[in-house]
Amino acid sequence: MRLGVFVSDLRGNEKMLDRLKAEKLGVFLVENGIYHAVIKEDGMISPLLQKEGADYYVLTEDLQTRGFTSSEVDSKVSVVTYLDVVDLMMNDYEKLVWL
Amino acid sequence: MGKEILFVVSRPPYKSENPKLAITHAMACYVADIHIDEEVEPIMAFVADGVLNCIKNQRSEAFYGIISTEQHIKNQLASDMKMFVCKEDLQRLEIKEERLIDGKDMGAEVDLEMVGFEEILKEMERCDQVMFF
Amino acid sequence: MATLSIGLFSSLVGSMNSDFALKLAEAAANKGHTVNLWFSGNATTLARKGQKSFKDYSYLIEKITALPEKGVSVAVCEACAAARGIHKAEVIEGITVHSMDWYVAKAAQSDRVLHIGGE
Repeated sequence: MRLGVFVSDLRGNEKMLDRLKAEKLGVFLVENGIYHAVIKEDGMISPLLQKEGADYYVLTEDLQTRGFTSSEVDSKVSVVTYLDVVDLMMNDYEKLVWL
Repeated sequence: MGKEILFVVSRPPYKSENPKLAITHAMACYVADIHIDEEVEPIMAFVADGVLNCIKNQRSEAFYGIISTEQHIKNQLASDMKMFVCKEDLQRLEIKEERLIDGKDMGAEVDLEMVGFEEILKEMERCDQVMFF
Repeated sequence: MATLSIGLFSSLVGSMNSDFALKLAEAAANKGHTVNLWFSGNATTLARKGQKSFKDYSYLIEKITALPEKGVSVAVCEACAAARGIHKAEVIEGITVHSMDWYVAKAAQSDRVLHIGGE
């Protein structure tokens, strides 16, 4: 299964994301989910970014809305636009989950 | 062969409208063929804190005047809808099988089926669409 | 080109999920995809006429009315809307009123479904 997972919150999604397994997994960080791409807590990157084999995307509009720029984004995460999200959803992932 | 939609419920009942909307949308699948030329088969899976929807003896009707989630689940079982409950989450929350809704109360031939999360992942892959509530 | 169905269950005011869903629908339509957009639960408030713009709240009426012009099918759940006092006469032109079977039928036949649950 090629699964795209949308994370829109800073807290509360870690357990479910950890349980979701797929041959190809993409994590879309949107709304308050963008904090996972830019914030360190006690010096550690978000546990959400440590899922093996997953691809990560962060929505640039939501990043900038919250006062961050792409230069602050963790190197594991690609910065994308709405148009990029559409292309990824349509071409790379067959099932989509909004946590 | 029609299409299959898996409705995954991950939140507890009542405070949020979400679990009930999952159930009502699942029921709507039975008449979806008025819009398209094929049947739509719903399947439900209760995972994470969503398994709390499946505890029996709910009394929302008595206290709030609203149909209980239990009644909706029983109606769906009576319609032979396949409904899974995540075994690991039941264990984590220490909910024993005897606390779960019994479809046979409504004369249903099918019952809630306790399965591992791996089985629910397989259903996510197998079904045509997934809706996460 | 493919078909995308988006189900939105979050409220107009109090959640940015609505803004996200509308921008995504617009982007998909601009890419030439067929888009279905379903408002259910608290999202039915998006379909109501007479919304007033305040700078502190999302104001999406212009985006919503532009979507059908771009070919997006926008529909609102009749029962969820009526439960909130929104009846057909109060629904923005261009948005259709359906029961839940419309959404699940559209979703079943879509290439992709993004179901954005409520709070």
